[in-house]
Amino acid sequence: MGKVKRSSAIVISSSDDEDDKDFVLKTNFSYSKSVPTRRNRKRANRAQLSDSRSRVFHDSNDNGFDVIKRFCEDFDQGFPQFKVSSGFGRNMGLWVDKYKPRSLEELAVQKKKVDEVKTWFEERLRTSGKNSYSNVLLISGQAGVGKSATVYAVASNLGAQVHEWNTPTPTIWQEHLHNSNSGIRYMSKMDEFESFVERIRKYGLSSMTRTSPSSIILLIDDLPVVNGKFAYGRLHRCLHLLLRSVHLPTAILINDYGNSDSAEYKTRYWEELQLSLVNAGACKVNFNPITINSIKRTLSKICRHEQFEVGDEQIDLIAKASGGDIRSAITSLQYYCLKPLPMNSQSFSKSSVAHLEEEMGKNNILDGGICLPFGRDATLSLFHALGKFLHNKRESGVLSEPDRNAILLKDKFVRLPLKMDAPEIVLCQAHGQTRAIADFLHENVLDFVNEDAIDDAWFVSSYLSDADFLLGTLGGKLTRNFEAENIIQSAAASIAVRGVLFGNAHAVTSRWHAIRKPKLWQVEQSLRHNKCQMVSQWNAIHSSMNLCEFSVIATEFNPALNWLGYEATKDSESLQVSTAVNNGKDDYFDNDNCDDEIEDW
Amino acid sequence: MLWVDKYRPKTLDKVLVHQDIAENLKKLVTEQDCPHLLFYGPSGSGKKTLIMAVLRQMFGASADKVKVENKNWKIDAGTRTIDVELTTLSSTHHVEMNPSNAGFQDRYVVQEIIKEMAKNRPIDTKGKKGFKVLVLNEVDKLSREAQHSLRRTMEKYSASCRLILCCNSSSKVTEAVRSRCLNMRINAPTEEEIVKVLEFIGKKEGLQLPPGFASRIAQQSNRSLRRAILSFETCRVQQYPFTNNQAIPPMDWEEYVSEIASSILKEQSPKRLFEVRGKLYELLVNCIPPDIILKRLLYELLKKLDSELKHEISHWAAYYEHRLRLGQKAIFHLEAFVAKFMSIYKGFLIETFG
Repeated sequence: MGKVKRSSAIVISSSDDEDDKDFVLKTNFSYSKSVPTRRNRKRANRAQLSDSRSRVFHDSNDNGFDVIKRFCEDFDQGFPQFKVSSGFGRNMGLWVDKYKPRSLEELAVQKKKVDEVKTWFEERLRTSGKNSYSNVLLISGQAGVGKSATVYAVASNLGAQVHEWNTPTPTIWQEHLHNSNSGIRYMSKMDEFESFVERIRKYGLSSMTRTSPSSIILLIDDLPVVNGKFAYGRLHRCLHLLLRSVHLPTAILINDYGNSDSAEYKTRYWEELQLSLVNAGACKVNFNPITINSIKRTLSKICRHEQFEVGDEQIDLIAKASGGDIRSAITSLQYYCLKPLPMNSQSFSKSSVAHLEEEMGKNNILDGGICLPFGRDATLSLFHALGKFLHNKRESGVLSEPDRNAILLKDKFVRLPLKMDAPEIVLCQAHGQTRAIADFLHENVLDFVNEDAIDDAWFVSSYLSDADFLLGTLGGKLTRNFEAENIIQSAAASIAVRGVLFGNAHAVTSRWHAIRKPKLWQVEQSLRHNKCQMVSQWNAIHSSMNLCEFSVIATEFNPALNWLGYEATKDSESLQVSTAVNNGKDDYFDNDNCDDEIEDW
Repeated sequence: MLWVDKYRPKTLDKVLVHQDIAENLKKLVTEQDCPHLLFYGPSGSGKKTLIMAVLRQMFGASADKVKVENKNWKIDAGTRTIDVELTTLSSTHHVEMNPSNAGFQDRYVVQEIIKEMAKNRPIDTKGKKGFKVLVLNEVDKLSREAQHSLRRTMEKYSASCRLILCCNSSSKVTEAVRSRCLNMRINAPTEEEIVKVLEFIGKKEGLQLPPGFASRIAQQSNRSLRRAILSFETCRVQQYPFTNNQAIPPMDWEEYVSEIASSILKEQSPKRLFEVRGKLYELLVNCIPPDIILKRLLYELLKKLDSELKHEISHWAAYYEHRLRLGQKAIFHLEAFVAKFMSIYKGFLIETFG
């Protein structure tokens, strides 16, 4: 029943599409036909539409391009109206701005954290730069947890003025060309930030503002993007300089990108940076994601204000989907409240709209928010996903009676249903590289295979071998077909993961496991190193002889040379060198050891 | 200097094994035109020795004056320049290199070096334009693309440049290249031939060889002359005068592989598989090529295996050897083979002993 209705809605929208296409393609001859359908859609704009229509009609023997252009203009004209009508004049602009917390009470942030920030600022403002300890406050937290809102609210509470470092607008390429032609040197954002810090250091803010300096808070929300060691070093120096010499209470906001990207070196940089700043005397406050309850409270308050009837379930869903990001939650709410309205202007009957809405509401609840048109995609960390795959959680108990439609499988191929989303979805969420996933699985899977089930171990490793085979077809080609590569990559990932899930039929009962970093990477690195060293050493000793395949050197000459004690001094020296290098590497690996303890979920 | 190098025959007249081939090569080279040559055969059969002797036959003693260079090639590949570093060995008349060391950029190296050689053709004493010889080792390890470009450059510059290719297995060289070369199959020397060589060396070194000692080394050498001479020399260092029951020192990595094999046969479990992985890593780090590891491992396993299983195990070894060549990371496939073996062997044990 419901299905029919939904599909009918889809039909309507698709026919709209066709009309548009019609309109574009056949403009010259079927004009009168296609316009009425459009008029149907936007009855509210009728006057204007007919106006444009008449305009077009007059010179309809123009070429199609003009008509299309005019169509676009028409569309543009229609658009602002659509926007205005959506809120019935009540809400201008975004709710995020409109309901920005003005006072401390309105903040959805944890009370404790707010107090922390507030007392810090109070202290600094009272003593106003005369104290010896540092004037920098680091506020970290993921996006949309109200970091800057807190600073602003605290500032207004204390009657201080916030001076924000404004990121300069990015230079576009044409502009850059123009500038460099007219002799203006290009300033990177980093350069500008540096000079800003320099100014602050030397002159305070007096050069920029005229208010009394006692009640100014400096807010650095948007640190310049750094990439690579060098730029990072500059930023690091710059911030330390600021930390040492700034006289104004300063808040630096740092976005945490969550654990999902922990494998990337960039987040490590940020962590290091924070740590070093804290060590240098900065005060750090970490904001947690906002709790679902306080998001819900805020959302229902907004609803009351806007006089929209939004069900509790909807609010609950929105709050959950936002993942602790209140900004996105509010935007989602606005979007949600907005949605039925443009439909009103179409020629639907009121009841069908209501039905549709109901329908959607139901769907949302049924699918657990996956088909929500808003909200953030939940991301998983790589380790989380690996844990899911390795632990191989399945439904317990007997299999339910098989569907008639399902393919009948032999008993040995039947597995209990998974207690997780389809592996591909999990892979998507973890946005992992296929290679890395295969390596991690390979390194860790044997810990999870039952002690007696060597057959399972073979299954798993044969599937991993298949995956590697697929990945191997990618390497070494100079002409690349990215589309095909993508398919191969995802197929390989799918095979690796499903192979592990399928093959490990008798998974061990869950217990604590540490996921190791693939040793393979280290092995490869030292292999490369050893190879180079061996070949160069060989060439150095036997320079006038001949070139030799390294495999022959490794398998035949080196063992023999060891026996002979030939060139013993040289060999031992090189051995020491190689071990030293290896040790160095070990240290390196210890440093970024990302062993994550995972427990079972 | 190792005996292997010391007693390497310098000219075609002096070779002790493959004398017939040497004879033919001599005839071929003394005639004016020499075709491209492709030497193939198992390791330690004397391919390189023959090639060097041929070069000497062609150019005289000046072919021996070689210098080693680490050359950097800057190659313009359309949109970007590629930097490739490669060790070459060159005299005035020839250049020798292992292009497969350049990894997947081998194609450019091959093209570029042939082009460069063709540009400055040497002029011989009679004022006639001569040719240079390019010796390419490990052609079978070249990528398919490199072999294709090799084919084209071979045709284009055939007037100014001769190629001598050297590889273990001609099956990994494309048809097109093979058909443009004179194929020379160099067999592994027989045990008698090896004994002959060892006795020759022994005489030169003034050593007393107990009867049967040389043939024992020859048996252990897997019909590789190089290995035989190397182990002969290690025996000499280890203990002299030779005794008849003297143990011939095995290669350390081979011992290690046989250790792995016995540990596989002792227990079949995921835990053991994990331990074996660690040992395989150890071998790989020491630059033992994975296919050689696999071959050796199979050899060691087959020694202790019931004949019933031999066929199946060999099948799987071949299967994973193929995989290993096509795949990217050797350990995945080596481990899959070990796991398969464990699974089969355990099933077999349960079936026979309950």
